[in-house]
Amino acid sequence: MPSIEVANLQKTFQTKRKAAGMRGSLRALFKPEYHTVEAVRGLSFQMEAGELLGFIGPNGAGKSTTIKILTGILHPTSGNAKVLGFVPWKDRQKLAYHIGTVFGQRPQLWYHLPAVDTFMLFGKIFELDDRETKKRIDLLAEAFDIRDLLETPVRKLSLGQRMRCEVAASLLHRPKLLLLDEPSIGLDVVAKQHIRDAIRKMSQEENVGVLLTSHDAGDLEALCRRVIIINHGQIVYEDKVSNLKRKFLTRKMVEVRYAEEVSPNFSIDGVEILKVGSYGVKLRFDTTKTPVDAVMAHLSEAGELVDITVSDPPLEEVIAKIYQDNKPGMRT
Amino acid sequence: MNKYLSILSMQVTNNLAYPGDFLGRSISIATFIFIFAGLWGTTFAISDTDAINGLTLPNMIWYFMMAETLELGRPRINRTISEQVKNGEVAYILNKPYNFILYHFSAGLGDGIVRMTLNLIVGSAVAWILAGAPPAPVGWLMAFITLIGAWILHFCMMALIGLAAFIVEETNSFELIYQKLVFILGGFLLPLEMFPAWLQKIALALPFPYMMYAPARLFVKPEMGLFWQMLAGQAIWVAIFVVLLSFVYQRSEKLLTVNGG
Repeated sequence: MPSIEVANLQKTFQTKRKAAGMRGSLRALFKPEYHTVEAVRGLSFQMEAGELLGFIGPNGAGKSTTIKILTGILHPTSGNAKVLGFVPWKDRQKLAYHIGTVFGQRPQLWYHLPAVDTFMLFGKIFELDDRETKKRIDLLAEAFDIRDLLETPVRKLSLGQRMRCEVAASLLHRPKLLLLDEPSIGLDVVAKQHIRDAIRKMSQEENVGVLLTSHDAGDLEALCRRVIIINHGQIVYEDKVSNLKRKFLTRKMVEVRYAEEVSPNFSIDGVEILKVGSYGVKLRFDTTKTPVDAVMAHLSEAGELVDITVSDPPLEEVIAKIYQDNKPGMRT
Repeated sequence: MNKYLSILSMQVTNNLAYPGDFLGRSISIATFIFIFAGLWGTTFAISDTDAINGLTLPNMIWYFMMAETLELGRPRINRTISEQVKNGEVAYILNKPYNFILYHFSAGLGDGIVRMTLNLIVGSAVAWILAGAPPAPVGWLMAFITLIGAWILHFCMMALIGLAAFIVEETNSFELIYQKLVFILGGFLLPLEMFPAWLQKIALALPFPYMMYAPARLFVKPEMGLFWQMLAGQAIWVAIFVVLLSFVYQRSEKLLTVNGG
């Protein structure tokens, strides 16, 4: 049985529009002008139990709205959805026992109290007995490496530490499905890696399905098997992450530094030179058109390499490209 | 049930995390009692009398102490809900397996218990110094019992105002109107005895006196007849508000929009 089934989901909001400044405010007061925002426009997809699915798209694409509908917080304007067999907005409380949620920008841990207090409270709220809660805390403390943080008031934790606690808290009641809305937002590279590793581990060990929204291609690569890209409330691309990578993350940026001065003469076919200095070079090429080893060989022949950085194009670029190539409704 | 008790005790713990906040609150109740004792002292001196409509100066000071204890300790959950709607935190509150209204009831009661206990201790100390010995134990008992009903009524009122936040987000203005109604018709500033008879009748037909006058008045002058009258009034209004609240909650839930993200 799929853990999420969504069919033709729509959500529109009415928002008041107001011209700038005081005059606009006064006019809006007497003659409010409404305009309709279509946050989600006919979304349909499925997610299998235990699957790791990435949900990406630019700001305002409708990711968070979808997640909020799937947790039952928002009522959709039309369409159907089933999460673990429940209609979320009708059975919100029953569904809550089986899903865990993290909204990256907001805290759910009690700010002034140590995280362990919130964990114990959640244990009560999800009707676990105290012994079970403690055992579970123990396990999560290990998985998320938060044992030393649990007794510090949450306000004294760093963002990375807090997010580890947040995600751990959402797994306390052994949910079958984890809905993560931007779990890595604002985190540094190390903290991101930490969180991803822990989520992947828990997902594998307990067969928890993960639906994750993100801006970060790294989250997708590290965690997700499949990806759905949405924009303007519609699916614009849906495929395995490996295919996405093969198709789109092929333009690599390489920056190298040399121990000694080198002659700035790098002319390789199909390679775009972005910057040349006497101690290094920055270039870009498409791995499907130019062989990687040819480029590398060329670079190392030029002198003694002391540093190398390889980077993917930013996800925004990839999405922009996908969006150009795939009109809404088209699926690969 | 267990989960709601845990929420309550969590909120108590949360309140104890900031002793500085405590000190500020006790200063404010002490100041208010001091000011009102001065006002009433002057009033009694000018009118050259021991009792106005049956209430003496010490009665008035202890009355005000109880009313202020409740006013400063009553729930303010409309602000909490409004805050949570504005910053989107409401998403976390809504997706847990508990009743949203009962969650706020428990959390609000946790706040209320801490605040009212503190107000009662500091307020009693100040009132004792200014007005002499406190009311008899039966007064304390009647006040305590009607305080529960009064608190629940306040909660329902604040929750109704708070739910408006699902639609209009900001609810402070509603709270201000409500607070002024309690101040006047609820007998916060003046006990109902001081009103003309016709205004007393109007006030008693409204929920406000049961939210403020009841515990304060029974505290200083416990009377069995009035006690039952107040309890009955509270029971009726609680019943009305609970029906109203559940109806409004079901409606407003569908209209919620969550900010951000």
